[in-house]
Amino acid sequence: MDVVSTLLGGLAAGMVLFIVSVGLSVTMGLMGFVNLAHGAFAMLGGYFVVYSMRRWGLAFEPALALGFVAVALVAVALERTLYARLYRAAELDQVLFTIGLVFVMIALVTLGVGPESQRVVLPAWLAGQTDLGFLTYRTYSLALIVAGTLLMLALWLGFERTRIGAKIRAAVDNRRMAESMGVDVGRLFTLTFALGSGLAAVGGGLGAEILGLDPQYPLRYLAYFLIVVAVGGLGKVTGVFFAALLIGVLDFVLKIYFPKGGTMFIYALTLIFLLARPQGIFGKRGT
Amino acid sequence: MQELAARHRLRWWEALPWVAGLACFFLFPTYLAFGTQVLVTILFALSLDLVLGYAGIVTLGHAAFFGAGAYTVGMLATHLGWTEPLSGLLAAALVAGLIGLLSGWVLLRTHGLTLLMLTLCTMALLEQAANMFSGWTGGFDGMPGLSFKPILGLFEFDVLFFRSQYLYALAVLFACFVVVRALVYSPFGRSLTGIRENVLRMHAVGAPVRARQVIAYAISAALAGVAGAVFVHATGFVNLAVLGLERAAGVLIILILGGHGRLYGAFVGAILYMVLEHTLSKAYPTAWQLGLGLGLMLVALYARNGVFGMADALRRRWSAR
Amino acid sequence: MSAGAAASARPQGGALLETRALCRNFGALQVANNVDFRLEAGARHALIGPNGAGKTTFINLLTGVLAPSSGQVLLDGEDVTRLAQARRVKRGIARTFQINQLFRGLSVLENVCIAVAERMGAGGGMLRPAGRRTEVVEEAARLLDTLRLSADAGSRVAELPYGRQRLVEIAIALGLSPRVLLLDEPAAGIPSAESHILLDAIAGLPREIAVLIIEHDMDLVFRFAQRITVMVGGSVFAEGTPAEIAANREVRAVYLGTALDA
Repeated sequence: MDVVSTLLGGLAAGMVLFIVSVGLSVTMGLMGFVNLAHGAFAMLGGYFVVYSMRRWGLAFEPALALGFVAVALVAVALERTLYARLYRAAELDQVLFTIGLVFVMIALVTLGVGPESQRVVLPAWLAGQTDLGFLTYRTYSLALIVAGTLLMLALWLGFERTRIGAKIRAAVDNRRMAESMGVDVGRLFTLTFALGSGLAAVGGGLGAEILGLDPQYPLRYLAYFLIVVAVGGLGKVTGVFFAALLIGVLDFVLKIYFPKGGTMFIYALTLIFLLARPQGIFGKRGT
Repeated sequence: MQELAARHRLRWWEALPWVAGLACFFLFPTYLAFGTQVLVTILFALSLDLVLGYAGIVTLGHAAFFGAGAYTVGMLATHLGWTEPLSGLLAAALVAGLIGLLSGWVLLRTHGLTLLMLTLCTMALLEQAANMFSGWTGGFDGMPGLSFKPILGLFEFDVLFFRSQYLYALAVLFACFVVVRALVYSPFGRSLTGIRENVLRMHAVGAPVRARQVIAYAISAALAGVAGAVFVHATGFVNLAVLGLERAAGVLIILILGGHGRLYGAFVGAILYMVLEHTLSKAYPTAWQLGLGLGLMLVALYARNGVFGMADALRRRWSAR
Repeated sequence: MSAGAAASARPQGGALLETRALCRNFGALQVANNVDFRLEAGARHALIGPNGAGKTTFINLLTGVLAPSSGQVLLDGEDVTRLAQARRVKRGIARTFQINQLFRGLSVLENVCIAVAERMGAGGGMLRPAGRRTEVVEEAARLLDTLRLSADAGSRVAELPYGRQRLVEIAIALGLSPRVLLLDEPAAGIPSAESHILLDAIAGLPREIAVLIIEHDMDLVFRFAQRITVMVGGSVFAEGTPAEIAANREVRAVYLGTALDA
């Protein structure tokens, strides 16, 4: 039963990675923009949840919902004023800009709240254990697994069955062709950027129990977000889902059996995988 | 036509950095430890300029090679009792260069985000490996308290005032700079600039693009390794921080601030950044990070060529009057 | 001093550059359809056709930028279909691009020097400074002279007017000492006031080089070409001497009869 509980723990962590990273995958696939600041939106979401629960007495669930909206709005503001100027810029400039943005956000959070790590108080219904018959396990982790899976299905349906989803997929596949067919890629990008950042915020708040919450969050997990996105394939929701679960389980297991430096296997595997298949699990070979 | 082909000739002001370096030795005898750090950072930034400023390869993992050089020296000293500094430099260059050659050959098949990410992965891989094999590397605490034989048997490392360390670092920097400068003006260096400016065109003139990139990457790695080795020689310790994202991002920022692809951008950027950091960051660390972040955003938007770029723009505006 | 000094594998009377049943498709889109093409040494050959006919794609297939779905490309009788672009350049195929692909931040002289250095095998040299390689610099200077670009030798390419940049594009290709020169719309973007410079440059190309030129400027085509191939929808539509093509009624129909009244 140890294997199952370890597996469940890893899956829960993977779900958090998925929720945070899926937005990054779609926006990078859409605009080719290297956004190293994505983790900062997750952090902002986490802090918003903590703050609104503590200061305004909100319950957990409405805090998450409000966090989604608030961070999405911040993201739109940043995108329209700053990010948009760098779409045609060299990769190096995008890297510099987003690193700078991360530093700014980390500093603001440290100045505003302090450098200590924050705890999110889970609501009663999530805090206990659930009896699955063969195993009792933390309700919170099980809820994460369910939520992540539902989100993946919802996004997948959204991409496959709605017109907007079709437009996004077309634009990710071949932006110029989509533009020539009348798709307003700029507006599409603002929308996906907002949604993706909002989701990251939810992931940050929801996952604070597992990934923690402190000002260093965006940099500490940067490599993992990028790995999940690259291995999953840009713009591929199902790919990111499986990649996130894989990384989550691997990280969880490695931290138990090789607490010192065990994560080196994740980096090694990523290197090998991406060299064999640079387009990711479900990506298409670039022409 | 002849003066056009004479770009590589030495100009008088190129002696200035070295004169200034020596002057600092006499003028600031109590700041030589800091000065040594600056010199090491200049060398590190110079190595990055070769791949980033000239070959156009964006990497967030260059600290992998700095760390490889540093740990080579540290492990040789701790496990083999090999503390002769100059041969340690050579060993560091070889190890780091070899890692650079292998990883470059394998990574440079990719480009863009995948390449960037893989450079991060390589560095993180080395960092965690150093963490895991703590029997060899000292793990999280590293290897403190290393001491080395005198340079050339004559100049002892001066633990109190860092006098020999400073001059040693200055000499190594000078030697490496001569190498980099020659490379940059050689046909190899020009072809790197061509690859950076228009890789499509380089393929279309029959240049072996990837081979050139890998060679540049390996040489740059070797130089970064030398920087790491000097770091350990001078400070007497090595730990995981030599391999971290902080160091890699830091050197990238330094090079951009000074001006990449300009040879001397590394000098300007390192001095500027480290002096500012030394004075401001100790007092107000969070405000320093905020200011640095804002500065980076502004640079990315308006001053992507750093100090040298701004100087160029000013010069153009004045001569246009 | 030309590239590809190996003995010619070309059978008697064979073409210098040849394609056999060359095909390329992107999914259902056929961009090259069973193209048989021959280019003789010293040829002055033009490739014309409506927009989207696959002319630039054909050049990409010839140079190795694009791999064919089937068919062969032969240079001097040797099958080069599998060879990468850089290797074909070493064998003697050079091209210019429809939109200038230059080293915009470098000087005109440096642009040509890079090409000449690669051709001479000196491109990877690390020891002596590039400026000291007098063979390279002099050869580059000579090329600039033949194209009347000497006055601009020290200027950054980005500062030149577009027409002169187009000439630099040709200078680079010539610096590779090619046996086959493929020019993709060399006149595109050149204001008519400057086009005579280009015409002189093309007229002055060494006689031994086989030249294939893609063009829409019919004036240039009929002044320059000894043979013309018309390409439509990825296939060879017609081929012959300029007189034959001008008289061909179907070709006129394809062009709506406007440009061919030369």
